[in-house]
Amino acid sequence: MPLDTSSYSLALLRLDGRRWNELRRLTAQISTQASADGSSYLEMGNTKVICTVSGPSEQKAAGSDRGERDKAGVRVEISVAGFSGVERKRRGRNDKRINEMATTISSAFQTNLFTNLFPHSTITLSLHLLSSDGSVLAALLNASTLALIDAGIPMKDYICACTAGSTSSYSSNDESADPLLDLNAQEELELPFLTVATLGGSDSVSVLVMETKVQVGRLEGMLAVGVDGCKQVREVLDEVVRERGSRILEGTKL
Amino acid sequence: MAITILAPAPAIIPYQAESSPDDSDDGGVDLQGDVSMRPAKRARHSREIITPGEIITDDAQWMRGHGTYVAASSSEIIATVAGTVQKTNKLLSVRPLRARYTPEIGDLVVGRIIEVQSKRWRVDVGAPVLANLPLSAINLPGGILRRRTETDELQIRTFFSEGDLLVAEVQALYQDGSASLHTRSLKYGKLRNGVFMSVSGVGGGGGVVRARRQVWTIDTAHGGGKVDVILGVNGYIWISKHVEVTGGEAAITRIEESVSSTVYSSQNDAIERETRREMARIGGVIQLLVTEGLRVDEDMVMKGYEAAVEVDNLNTGESNAYLSVEKGQEVLKLLRGI
Repeated sequence: MPLDTSSYSLALLRLDGRRWNELRRLTAQISTQASADGSSYLEMGNTKVICTVSGPSEQKAAGSDRGERDKAGVRVEISVAGFSGVERKRRGRNDKRINEMATTISSAFQTNLFTNLFPHSTITLSLHLLSSDGSVLAALLNASTLALIDAGIPMKDYICACTAGSTSSYSSNDESADPLLDLNAQEELELPFLTVATLGGSDSVSVLVMETKVQVGRLEGMLAVGVDGCKQVREVLDEVVRERGSRILEGTKL
Repeated sequence: MAITILAPAPAIIPYQAESSPDDSDDGGVDLQGDVSMRPAKRARHSREIITPGEIITDDAQWMRGHGTYVAASSSEIIATVAGTVQKTNKLLSVRPLRARYTPEIGDLVVGRIIEVQSKRWRVDVGAPVLANLPLSAINLPGGILRRRTETDELQIRTFFSEGDLLVAEVQALYQDGSASLHTRSLKYGKLRNGVFMSVSGVGGGGGVVRARRQVWTIDTAHGGGKVDVILGVNGYIWISKHVEVTGGEAAITRIEESVSSTVYSSQNDAIERETRREMARIGGVIQLLVTEGLRVDEDMVMKGYEAAVEVDNLNTGESNAYLSVEKGQEVLKLLRGI
């Protein structure tokens, strides 16, 4: 059993030494690639992601299945590096899991960005997962937000994401289980968890994905912890943007 | 409500124009200064960073501009991009730190032909959508007053074909933000004899800024001769060997008529080694300015170029146009020293 539940109840410490409401180390950089319209690099613990944005640029006439010509489309491409996980796994072009993540990210940003400002054009998000240690969808969403801000594409607010879980599995049926914030890969294997993304500092949820089973009584606690974690994520991302911004403004003084 | 009577304020001091040279280099007279004019309402911008989702104000007296939005059923103006607040009278807008180019009427742009259609070209100017260049908006060979005929439509590729670079001006904007260009001046047209570079995606005071002069000629050092620099507002830059206009200055009205097919030639002239080297040096200086987040305009490029030549002269050994990291730092030091 990867998660030693007995030791958690004794010391209230998780496998990596965190308390239930602690995020992993979250660091990010923006404008990492000069040739892209916008780019970012984000680490959530050992999960490492790079994102590049190109566009908004003219839509290719052929192969665009989006009927809307008065709005920009958001295209998301996710590529998972072979060395990202514990074992090397070949993923096909249409891996269902990855496609679903791409669709989730695309629809989240489709509503958050002011796509009506860029008619008949496309915004392409290219995401690369370099190292995967849990909370992959959350890391991809956070990296996309940063890259889109770097590209100067208007949006309502940051989309900040994190995961939340529960300290005991579904089968143990423990109603008093504590919620957990920001799960790593080991915890994700065993425990029920959800990925939640909110719009900036508000409580409005823009993405909520859950692929595991959990008793409905525990869901509310998990969601509350997740939303609270998103607020912490926002502060970190905001700090990254501000730091970059003041660096740019400083450079122009001459 | 009680009526209060305000004490009369002193009259506004008439605006004194700065001592600017009356004539610009290309013979135009500076209009400002003929009559005393008040300074135009200049946009004021703070140097504080605003990030998306941040409330700029909840005061209903402000109007929202670019980079902001008003949430439904509230009067709060909220930023949508990361940048600095800009106030123009009662208009609040946020200037993004970095963004794609958005065309404005009168902009001088450098573009590349992407697509040729029956009566127009589609031009990449670095904007979200491609710009249009109608066949009717170019100077046709054989005089400016000639009618556009079907023959011209059939041989549209002899003027511009896919991949050609051109310098043009934004003539009109459409509803969807796309631009319509024109090249109806001898200043504009097809580009050759030079190198292209792109510094798009920069903002916040860096990169190419709208300036009084976007096109000028540098008298280069080391026997490089004259080099033209075109700074497109869209961040596309063209550095080329200067070619004297044949016909001379006297027949200025005749030049318009003598727009011959050589204007649309794609054949490069011979460019000497020295000229190529100085062109590379100018390119290196612009690249340096961009990576340092400095503004790219005539003044900065000229200062940077002079500094680069100076640094190169100080170095012993063979003259080298390549601006290495160390040399770049020395150039910056000279720039900051001035």
